[in-house]
Amino acid sequence: MSPIARRYFVKNGFDGSMTMLGIIVGSWVVRLEEPEIIVTAGLGACLAMGMSGLFGAYMTERAERTRHLKSLEATMLTDLSGSIISDASEFVSIYAAFVDGTSPILTALISLIPFFLTLNGTFVIWDAYIASFILTLATLFCLGLYLGRIAKENMLLYGAMTLAVGVITVVIVLLLGAI
Amino acid sequence: MIRRLVLDVLKPHNPSIVELSEALSHLEGIEGVNVIIYEIDQQVENVKIVIAGSSINFESIEKKLRELGATIHSVDEVAAGKRIVEEVKTPQDESARI
Repeated sequence: MSPIARRYFVKNGFDGSMTMLGIIVGSWVVRLEEPEIIVTAGLGACLAMGMSGLFGAYMTERAERTRHLKSLEATMLTDLSGSIISDASEFVSIYAAFVDGTSPILTALISLIPFFLTLNGTFVIWDAYIASFILTLATLFCLGLYLGRIAKENMLLYGAMTLAVGVITVVIVLLLGAI
Repeated sequence: MIRRLVLDVLKPHNPSIVELSEALSHLEGIEGVNVIIYEIDQQVENVKIVIAGSSINFESIEKKLRELGATIHSVDEVAAGKRIVEEVKTPQDESARI
């Protein structure tokens, strides 16, 4: 995976997990018992994050690449349209948009799995909350491990840091719910 | 029938000279390619490309270089015909320098 795709994957994957963590803990605080509401809200958030990632990354990357291409053209005093440099710019924009759009959907869907299972009767709602909570924190921890691997540093430390962000968010949502 | 061509080319850092030389060497009529960097700037680099072959098509080289984002600054040497004729030094060359 290229550095750009790696950045987008982790950043937006993290966004996906954190958003679902907020929805799940918030729903638990208000003692929501209908899995349909959580699944619908979760899928809506998935779609919104996916669209945001897809178009946001495409437009941002395209603007940056176009700027770079124009600067190169000015330096070379030539038109680079039709060259592999111009094609590569377009490809990277689409690739980055794909990664940025799919990563939050992927991580958010992981968190929603227990609620899908509740819909078909495999889980009771309160078990689904616990399972989803554990899955989401595990996803955050794995993203941290991956970051640690990229940085070639202590993977567990990075995993602990991303996990801590999740735990802090949970504590804040719980405190807000207690007010 | 071009047998040897020496070009002064301006190119971006990417594709690298490895990719550039490979791409040129796959063209029809080309038997060997040598690419030397002699100047590097922030975004571009100047390279000297020496191409040898049995029947070099200049247009196809120009097209391939354009595809790779490179431009020919000048054609510095061309050898054509059945036999490659090397550059010959003459006494006049020496006196011209003085």
